[in-house]
Amino acid sequence: MVFSSLTFLFGYLPLTLALYFLTPLRRRNFVLLITSLFFYGWGEPVYVGVMFLSIFIDYTHGLLVERFRQRDRLARWFVGQSVVFNLLLLGFFKYWDFLAANLSLLPGVTVPQLGLPLPLGISFFTFQTMSYTIDVYRRDAPVQRNIIDFGAYVTLFPQLIAGPIVKYKTVAAELVHRTVTSQDFAEGACRFTVGLAKKVLLANAAGALWESCQASQNAGALTVAGGWTGLFAFGLQIYFDFSGYSDMAIGLGRILGFRFDENFDHPYLSTSVGEFWRRWHMSLTSWFREYLYFPLGGSRAGSARTLRNLLIVWFCTGFWHGASWNFVLWGLYFGLWLILERFVLKDLLTRTPVLVKRFYTLLVVFVGWGIFAMEDLGVCGRYLAVCFGNGPLWSAPDGYRLRSWALILLLLVLGSTTLAADLWKKIPERGRKVLIPVLMALGLVVSTAYLVDGSYNPFLYFRF
Amino acid sequence: MTTRYSRFLSAFFCVFLGGLLAWHLLLPDRDRSDVENRTLAQLPEFSWESLKDGSFTKSVEEYFADQFPLRDQWTGLKARTEQVLGKREFNGVYLCGDALIAKVEPPKDGLEEKNLSYVSRLAERTELPVYLGLIPSAAEIRKDDLPKGAESWDQAAFIARGLELEGVEPIDFLTALRDHAGERTWEGIFYRTDHHWTTLGAYYGYTALMESLGRGEEVLEQEAYERRSFPPVSNGFQGTLYSQSGIHWLEPDSIEFWVEDKGLSVTSWRDGTPKEASLYDSDYLGKKDKYSAFLGGNQPLCVIQNPEGTGKLLVIRDSYADSMAPFLALHFEEVHLLDPRYYRYSAAKYAEENGLDAIAVVYSVPNFITDRNLVLLIQ
Repeated sequence: MVFSSLTFLFGYLPLTLALYFLTPLRRRNFVLLITSLFFYGWGEPVYVGVMFLSIFIDYTHGLLVERFRQRDRLARWFVGQSVVFNLLLLGFFKYWDFLAANLSLLPGVTVPQLGLPLPLGISFFTFQTMSYTIDVYRRDAPVQRNIIDFGAYVTLFPQLIAGPIVKYKTVAAELVHRTVTSQDFAEGACRFTVGLAKKVLLANAAGALWESCQASQNAGALTVAGGWTGLFAFGLQIYFDFSGYSDMAIGLGRILGFRFDENFDHPYLSTSVGEFWRRWHMSLTSWFREYLYFPLGGSRAGSARTLRNLLIVWFCTGFWHGASWNFVLWGLYFGLWLILERFVLKDLLTRTPVLVKRFYTLLVVFVGWGIFAMEDLGVCGRYLAVCFGNGPLWSAPDGYRLRSWALILLLLVLGSTTLAADLWKKIPERGRKVLIPVLMALGLVVSTAYLVDGSYNPFLYFRF
Repeated sequence: MTTRYSRFLSAFFCVFLGGLLAWHLLLPDRDRSDVENRTLAQLPEFSWESLKDGSFTKSVEEYFADQFPLRDQWTGLKARTEQVLGKREFNGVYLCGDALIAKVEPPKDGLEEKNLSYVSRLAERTELPVYLGLIPSAAEIRKDDLPKGAESWDQAAFIARGLELEGVEPIDFLTALRDHAGERTWEGIFYRTDHHWTTLGAYYGYTALMESLGRGEEVLEQEAYERRSFPPVSNGFQGTLYSQSGIHWLEPDSIEFWVEDKGLSVTSWRDGTPKEASLYDSDYLGKKDKYSAFLGGNQPLCVIQNPEGTGKLLVIRDSYADSMAPFLALHFEEVHLLDPRYYRYSAAKYAEENGLDAIAVVYSVPNFITDRNLVLLIQ
């Protein structure tokens, strides 16, 4: 189930909330576990088994780590075991076919592809549960002895299938004891509505524009202008899609009594590629920093090691996004830019005006979206070649697209900045009090209209 | 936020979600939607098997969406919002002033070429002369009225390919419609809210067909009909494009019947047995799907006999022929209308067994390039 669906909004959500709030506090984790399993099983019922297995193994490994804390080698062994299990789970479901296809290219080797559907959110929940055993080992989080509480953490439906990646230590305390005030509920509901509108109204509109540009390419009619329009549209689509989904997750968490960390912070205002990654999908970047980059030695072990570590981390970041070469390339592309920024451009960037730095960052990021968006590297190469001049400059359909999407593009661009938030603060308290319910109603009603129309509702991060 | 205010907001949120859920549950389920012209999904029956393969939850989602309260109004609201945002395309339909024009997407899998080849192979298989007429849709005839720069597949180029097809006699609908598009206002040729041609459009099509068959001199002047013409039989036609686009605020179309249903015998083969029918089925004029008033809508086979006519013609066709058939009926002893979407028997054999003189494949371009049933022509 996705949040931006009628069944979730007008079926699952009201029923779950009713059940949750009618249940006494100490039983609420149980309700969360059951309803989240239902949520999970909705798309692929069979995979509830995978979920049970994951809960069971990580739960027991947490206990084992705690139990053998005094014998460090054994404790480390169990941490390792849990990490290997999670990576195998992820590797098997997400990467098997990719590896099989590539290995089969070697002469004399044939590895069968399984064609299994990817369990929802497996990239997210395996990373979350890995963080649990590691945190327990590092004493960053207490061990969880109650399997229901632990299960509720693993399956927590708000962030289950598309993040943010909530580290165990972030919610450890709230898992045991949390309160929901009417203020939490109201703010959560507002946040959810904002996310819903971002996803359904803005992201999908940007997606339609991107598809239109892709169609031009397929018809061999892509122009330079169309190429950049497409990259621009895709970058905005993925930002509004993903940050909208994070908003919905954070809002739902708030309604249930959890405070998740922010996942996006106006990434398109960044003045360097490094800064972009500190503002984009922050929960993933910080996960890799904390559980991969630092353990590898980070940047404290000399330039050569730093270089190696950056390449490893960005290879993994790219590969995490999908089992395909373009994602690997995409990750390494960013790795290279970060290395460049760290070792070559550093001084230059400090002397460059902010606007130029923003432009440079956006250029790097949006070309990167081209690599991200097109799995077929041949298609991708031809597309980018057109963007950089290998094609006509302009054609009539470009004008049509820009006219049709002008207002939406304006909204998307403004929505990527802090302008709306700044303006909001300028409105006097009383005005805001009137505006909030009006905007909320508008967001809910219009989003519902789009969902009912339903012609166009793909979700980019759904299968990650 | 004060507690009172946040309670108000929370309640508002819950009432919206819960209220629509309650409404949904209380609302009796509908069997079909006339606006969408399809049957609606019903609550699926539970079985472990369907749960396991995921089809159960999928069916529940379809049911939930199909039976959602105020479905048509939501769709209308979405279209209005899109219009405010400056969009000109609504679910594959362009809004062009006071009319809707369906965008034609490029064909997939080379289907257009395959279908052309099936027509030539039909011509090789039979002794009878085979004619091919491809009817351009409004997106071609009204190209200049599309939003500036809006894309639609190039039908004219494809029609030109069809006209040159070897072993097949051409029917030039494109020129016939184009000529008249300039002469009279375009509104006459296509409906503004439906993808079909109007009775006037069908009349021009019929003149083109008669020309091709070498019987152009028999065609009655337009005035001959108009003198006879009845007032529009319906002024409230809201067609397929009205449904598809969600644009519900345009003036409805009117429908005209030009031919008097006298001295003709119409036989419909809807379920394998012959049933008496008529050129026009006025029952449909009271329903949403008013275009089906022509011959009573989709059917595998329809035979129109006119004892005063000459020649026997087999028309392999889509629904555009429904409104053209009454004109043909005036001239032919027998017109057999065969729809390959529903008719599963060799067309060539049918023509031979029934002693027909000629076969005409008459299809609109959007249907011709997407229809996967034309392979039956080579049976």
